[in-house]
Amino acid sequence: MSVIEYDVIVIGAGVSGLTAGTLLAKHGLNVALVTTGEPTACLSTGCIDVCSVSENPLQAIVSLPQRHPYHLISIKNIRQSLRDFQQAMTDVGMPYEGSPENNRRVLSAIGTFKTTCLTPVTMQASPQNEDEKIHIITFAGLKDFYPGYIISRHKNASFSIYDAGVATTMGISANFENEAFLEAFMLWLEKQNIREDKIAFPAVLGLESASAIVKTIESRMECPVFEIPTIPPSMPGRRLFNHLKDHFRRHGGVIYWGWPVVGVEKSGRKIEAVIAESQGRPNSLNAKAFILATGSFVGGGLHANRDSIVEKVFHLPVFLPGKRETWFDHDYFSLSHGIGQAGVAVDSDFRPVDCPWDNVFACGAILAHTETLKNGCGHGFALATGQAAARSCLECIR
Amino acid sequence: MKFEHCIRCTICVENCPVFRVNPAFPGPKQAGPDAQRFRSQREKSVDEWVLLCSQCKRCEMSCPCGVEPAQIILRAQQKYGLEHPHTAAHLLFANNYYLSTLGSMTAPLANRIVSTKIGKRIFQSMGIATYIPFPKFSFKTMRAQKKTRSREARKVAFFYGCFINFYRPDIGRKIIRLLQSFQVDVVLPPQWCCGLPALGNGNLALAQKFAAKNVASLSNYIDAGYDVVYSCTSCGLCLLHDYQGIMDIPGAKKIAENSYDLHEYILKLIAERGGAKPEFQQVSRTLAYHIPCHLRALKIGYPAADLMKMIPGLECRILDDACCGLNGSYGFKKINETTAMQLGDRAVSLIKNTGAEAIVADCGSCRMQLAGLSGMYAFDPVEILCESLGIRDNKK
Repeated sequence: MSVIEYDVIVIGAGVSGLTAGTLLAKHGLNVALVTTGEPTACLSTGCIDVCSVSENPLQAIVSLPQRHPYHLISIKNIRQSLRDFQQAMTDVGMPYEGSPENNRRVLSAIGTFKTTCLTPVTMQASPQNEDEKIHIITFAGLKDFYPGYIISRHKNASFSIYDAGVATTMGISANFENEAFLEAFMLWLEKQNIREDKIAFPAVLGLESASAIVKTIESRMECPVFEIPTIPPSMPGRRLFNHLKDHFRRHGGVIYWGWPVVGVEKSGRKIEAVIAESQGRPNSLNAKAFILATGSFVGGGLHANRDSIVEKVFHLPVFLPGKRETWFDHDYFSLSHGIGQAGVAVDSDFRPVDCPWDNVFACGAILAHTETLKNGCGHGFALATGQAAARSCLECIR
Repeated sequence: MKFEHCIRCTICVENCPVFRVNPAFPGPKQAGPDAQRFRSQREKSVDEWVLLCSQCKRCEMSCPCGVEPAQIILRAQQKYGLEHPHTAAHLLFANNYYLSTLGSMTAPLANRIVSTKIGKRIFQSMGIATYIPFPKFSFKTMRAQKKTRSREARKVAFFYGCFINFYRPDIGRKIIRLLQSFQVDVVLPPQWCCGLPALGNGNLALAQKFAAKNVASLSNYIDAGYDVVYSCTSCGLCLLHDYQGIMDIPGAKKIAENSYDLHEYILKLIAERGGAKPEFQQVSRTLAYHIPCHLRALKIGYPAADLMKMIPGLECRILDDACCGLNGSYGFKKINETTAMQLGDRAVSLIKNTGAEAIVADCGSCRMQLAGLSGMYAFDPVEILCESLGIRDNKK
């Protein structure tokens, strides 16, 4: 067994895990993050949904059911987590626009609107109603984006097609990072005689330098440009993950990739170490405290068996809203499905309820009563709970 | 995990360096779990594009579900290799061990031929790329090293690998002296190529032949109380992962359990003596640490980075998002030349962005590629440790 020691181990590399890790590292702690693979944040639109049930996210939070974990955090601290996030993203060159008092709309790839709070600067100019005049640029052979869906809902939209030489989101994005490609594309775009007020693109405008590419196109075309999030592979989600990861590392955090936690060493009321598989010998990661940020079902933190739902790392008790039979709903697309409430319930210190250990904290999508889809609380919730769990963890250690 | 566990989330595709630059490769999801549904042992392989996979294993490191696309593709590559005639380049690189033995024996001559225009033209006609210079053969190999034995408590059998043996025995000698400075007895057990080049060029049988010999030799040493230490991350991954996995060599588990990366081993030695750090002297350098893909895949963290953190004055930025593109013999094949160069340029631009004065990387082939494309010097982490501890290679 190889033994590795840190102050805190964060399990899970999603938005909440990276946020918690960064806050701890900023306070001078020696933090390592272990993860099975890359997080579901990579599959997201990259937008920060705080709470989408009404126009003002912070007011909407107040009206959520009493058991929602948002109520464990003060509005001041929620604001703080969003402000820290915006600052971090500005520092790495991908500013996020918006305010926690106002939700905004982002045009989706099927022409509907998504309600969110903070958007990457590349979606800043997204139209706020169906009447805005937009011209959509798409790419020859790109299977993951059909402007026809948008045009069927937006009368003032038109489109043209550019042949980028490749037909995948990833390939086109990589091409946009190339100056010669961008220049050739600009020459073509200038010839299109676009009369609409705004130019829309599927979200393929580069990988690392997306905000600069959008600015270049805007200044050359003298009109606002925005990206429309696509189905995975989703570049805005990947950019968000990459930037958060770099931010964590810049503050001294260490990441171990491909390390699913397979065992736990405990003594008394403390977790001493988590065990991760390696190619030869297992690794034992010792720490004073552990933060569980393994996500929900898709992220791999929760697993549904035929008769139960289990938390995969510490086998913590999982809250379930009644029996499965009672979850049945006649509305196929109902957002109130019982499974949305499943998860690990926590107390005001973000310690799991009925947990036999004192040095474990949980944050992010694994928390019970969240109902992410119904309440539209995605990355915003992850940022706020990530910081809150980290603060409790900090107190526990000191 | 089986290919059925793939949820088709495409995170592997986003991480695939080859897919990023080469539209002919459909990406790890399609070439791996997706295509696997249609592959049959009874039908001949038709998916020639599996050969475009460089086996960097980034897909496996990023998969949130534990599926191993690179393993699935590796098996498809072996099947394809069995059913189709091998190109000259594939044959040459699979047998790199024998060629290099010949090259070192005739080092002064071989090095001259390899670097001439005519030599390069011959290589190109065989489908071998020459955009970066070949490494220089060393006449005095590691194998020719005189054996030194003392009576230290800890004993290490050093698996040096072909790169150190044929091209950089000076680094090998430094590693021996470095280990000796920790009161470790080092021997060089009889050893052959780890088998990875053969595996990567579709010749499983040859790879197994090498592997079986190595397992037999190393396991004798393990039985006699030695720990196996490797310094090449790709050799290490092959010893630890492929011997037990695709090569299915009896006794491989014992090798995996008792083999250590050099830096991992040094950290272990430091921990065993109560965390007392060696007396690292100031090294005033700003380095960009390019993490080799196979070091990531070993899942031992970045032990050399932990060691270099202990060196006063050393600034070292970790870069693990880019593959250097060479992937051993992959980039030396003409059909992969453009892919390798584009990936290399990207890795180099990330390195240059850090403002570092030189590169550091564990893997010999990464260093060859990055130094060749950037014009910067590329160190092995061992060289930095030895500089800090005042250890020199005095056998020149």
